[in-house]
Amino acid sequence: MNAEVKQPKVLMKVENLVKHFPVRLGAYGEKKAVVHAIDDISFDIYRGETLGLVGESGCGKSTTGFALLQLYKPSSGKITFDGLELTAMEEKALRPVRKRAQIIFQDPYSTLNPRMTILDAMAEPIRVHNLLPEKEIPARIAQLLDDVGLNFSFANRYPHEFSGGQRQRICIARALASNPEFIVCDEPISALDVSIQAQIINLMMDLQEKYKLTYLFIAHDLAVVRHISDRVVVMYLGKIMEIADKKELFDNPKHPYTKALLAAVPEADPDHERNKSRVILTGDVSNAIDPPSGCRFHPRCQYAKDACKKAQGPQLIKVAPGHLSACPYF
Amino acid sequence: MSALLEVKDLETQFKVRAGKLHAVNGVSFSLKQGEMLGVVGESGCGKSVTMMSLIRLLPPSASITNGSVMFEGVDLVKANKEQINAVRGSKIGMIFQDPMTSLNPFVKIGVQLSEGLMYHKSMRKKDAYDRCAQYLDMVGISNSRHRLEEYPHQLSGGMRQRVMIAMALVSEPKIVIADEPTTALDVTIQAQIVDLVKGLREKLDTSIIWITHDLSLLAGMVDRIMVMYAGCVVEEANLRDLYKDPRHPYTIGLLNSIPRLKNNENRRLRSIPGQPPNLLQKPASCPFASRCAFKTERCDRENPGLESVPGDDGASGHRIACWADTRGRI
Amino acid sequence: MESEAKKTAVVEEKQYNLFKDAMKRLAANKLAMVGLIVVSLVILIAIIGPMITPYDFLSQDLNYRNKAPSAQHWFGTDDLGRDVFSRVIYGARTAVIVAISVTVLSYLIGIVLGSLAGYLGGKVDAFVVWLIDVFMSIPSLLLVIVVNVSVKPVLVNWMDAKFLETQNQFFRNTTWVDFAIVFGSLAFIKWPKAARIIRGQILSIKNKNYVVAAKALGVPTSKIIRRYIIPNSIGPFIVSISSTLGEAMVLESSFSFLGVGVKPPIPSWGNMISDGLRVWQVYPHILAAPALVLAIVTISFSFLGDGLNDALNPRQWK
Repeated sequence: MNAEVKQPKVLMKVENLVKHFPVRLGAYGEKKAVVHAIDDISFDIYRGETLGLVGESGCGKSTTGFALLQLYKPSSGKITFDGLELTAMEEKALRPVRKRAQIIFQDPYSTLNPRMTILDAMAEPIRVHNLLPEKEIPARIAQLLDDVGLNFSFANRYPHEFSGGQRQRICIARALASNPEFIVCDEPISALDVSIQAQIINLMMDLQEKYKLTYLFIAHDLAVVRHISDRVVVMYLGKIMEIADKKELFDNPKHPYTKALLAAVPEADPDHERNKSRVILTGDVSNAIDPPSGCRFHPRCQYAKDACKKAQGPQLIKVAPGHLSACPYF
Repeated sequence: MSALLEVKDLETQFKVRAGKLHAVNGVSFSLKQGEMLGVVGESGCGKSVTMMSLIRLLPPSASITNGSVMFEGVDLVKANKEQINAVRGSKIGMIFQDPMTSLNPFVKIGVQLSEGLMYHKSMRKKDAYDRCAQYLDMVGISNSRHRLEEYPHQLSGGMRQRVMIAMALVSEPKIVIADEPTTALDVTIQAQIVDLVKGLREKLDTSIIWITHDLSLLAGMVDRIMVMYAGCVVEEANLRDLYKDPRHPYTIGLLNSIPRLKNNENRRLRSIPGQPPNLLQKPASCPFASRCAFKTERCDRENPGLESVPGDDGASGHRIACWADTRGRI
Repeated sequence: MESEAKKTAVVEEKQYNLFKDAMKRLAANKLAMVGLIVVSLVILIAIIGPMITPYDFLSQDLNYRNKAPSAQHWFGTDDLGRDVFSRVIYGARTAVIVAISVTVLSYLIGIVLGSLAGYLGGKVDAFVVWLIDVFMSIPSLLLVIVVNVSVKPVLVNWMDAKFLETQNQFFRNTTWVDFAIVFGSLAFIKWPKAARIIRGQILSIKNKNYVVAAKALGVPTSKIIRRYIIPNSIGPFIVSISSTLGEAMVLESSFSFLGVGVKPPIPSWGNMISDGLRVWQVYPHILAAPALVLAIVTISFSFLGDGLNDALNPRQWK
């Protein structure tokens, strides 16, 4: 893979990232095994962009988000954030980085400490990093709550008093409290109702513009990813299948998996649904404990050849400027 | 009237600590033989509770306080235990959201599938197993004889949902109620299940009620759609009318707030502001009024009933519960 | 859109404080308040007992035996003419001493082992879990009997020898051996429960999203433990302490009832019930007094435990 020499500044560089989880199987945990959550992935995140990361459950997309922020220690590989090599740093040394790189989780119900008021929860990053004197904190929180469309009168309440959408707004506000540059959004809307999802997407796009944020937007919903992203990474069973600009990926997908994934998404248009040619992927996602040899996707791929099963899986190859695909045949 | 199922003014309430939760507030609809009806709405809109009320599969804290459900000459609301048991599972089948928890992990699939046949139809075990194997073949499970002897954990999530579908169909019910059957599944698996159900519809003459929160999913499947909000049906229309000519402000809002895969030009999503009302009080006026862009003074006073849309003679069956004439005002 | 969201905001100032609110909720729970009052009363009586008892618990009045309750003897007298009311009050002292010591001892062991297992995981965890399983499989009564016949004579002999040697009054009274054996055996039986609760709490909270979120915010580990893990585990912890206190009292009484716990003449509700049982058909008050008191105290602990559980869980607040 050639490093491209044109383009905007790289904020986060992921090189050959691997994350394996040891597990124990069998009724008494007598069998040791390894879950191949992420297997050798590399990609860049450019400053100011939204990079979409899509894939089905078990593809390693959330693990990637966690590993990027060193919330899981990667098994191997290198992650560089604005010149700092995070993978080489101790937890203590990472603390200043934590201020600059934040995360929003999928389930807003469990990400707020039930014993802390909203004010305390939001003040936490400010206090931990000594960003403001104590007496200026309420004003800052009022401003943050205002940014996410909530009233400061909520600040002294506990999380359980809020709806899912409101909690997600609070989580976003808390993530913003330390003025981060980069936010990992781990399926931030998939636990919310449809009408609330749109509110949160709009909010996140507004905030990105206002604070010049860089997002890694992890989701399984392709329509949402298409809506919010600039570039998209498609993962399958711990490997990257395809990376491209949003428009390129959705209009001109190369990898058979991306094509199948796009075909599987239902569209709210009866005419389109009636006329669309359906390529329905057969079978289920293989097991990450014993992933298939060669191309991870070959057991479900209708074009699979013998070469696809060979030991070394296909590498990402450049099919167009800024468009990489892990399938040599398309 | 040739309707297979006729629901009138159904009301269901839950007893909660804070009082009474009015989950279903006067729902009326009918279902024809062989028809596929989609029911769509956000969490808490009463879509599942309505359908569970049909066969009185409700938790002890819930009670049906009004209305009737006519099915084959019997009012299921007033039916005695034997009558309702004869209907459940035999004449009206169920498919639940989570195939993981809806199958008993300790019982072989064959036993779980054949139970209903032996109980309701007094079939002998061998005949019941033959029938079950045949249905497993029909839902696309290969090696069906062998599968009958397996336990649920030996199947993947998609396969389990197929077993659930076979289980619902095996007693050849008149109606199948599918409660978000694909929500827990990945998109590619969802596409498989949707395709399967469409294929089965052509073979069987079963009426299906498909409950979902995902409007896009219904576009390629159903004949008619009912949109629910705060325990009321707010719009009911043929598939095409609902997507091409939605009339209720809530339906319009929902369709606008879904990110699209096609023609997605980074337009700002038009979200519905605010949140659904809490149903501790029965809505006396239009429950959507506080979030509605078409609100008039009348909306806060009276609750509109479900009426034919303005400019329609009632032949298309397009009905909305709204005082406003939203034609051309989207 | 932001402005729309603000519209839904109810403008209302409301100050919350976790413990204040918990206490408010507890106060609203009538059964829990009854429990709290009874439990506090028992502890108070145990402390000031000797000041309020009308008679000495040992003083016999053989002319005045087996008398029914009266103005002089509220709960009557027993077969040696001792005042039952005074003995019940001293029994509370026994029960409270045992309950508190057992709870403190078993939670000391439980906290150390449970939190080691929860934090460190891996081999340490596997070992502690194994240890817990082993200890939980020991039948408690059998253990106490074994300790009584094996450890106790050794201790008593040693004390007697010491007394003869030093003439120190401390070694003269072997009552403390009885107590020590009851404490020790009960703590032996109770620590695995404490360890299990603490390990479970730490494990479940360690993986909660809000702890991961706090880590992502850069909150230092010590602060995560202080502000996230402890406050969230304190509820189940307090509830389990309250239930251990109650259980220890009941177990002490059962052991004393069976003659392997606190021995007469030191009064324990257990040995008083045992005494009363012999004559209950003729003098029911001798049995009724300690039995009723024990039942009321046990039920009170369970009411209090339930109330605390509800009060300390903000998710259950309305």
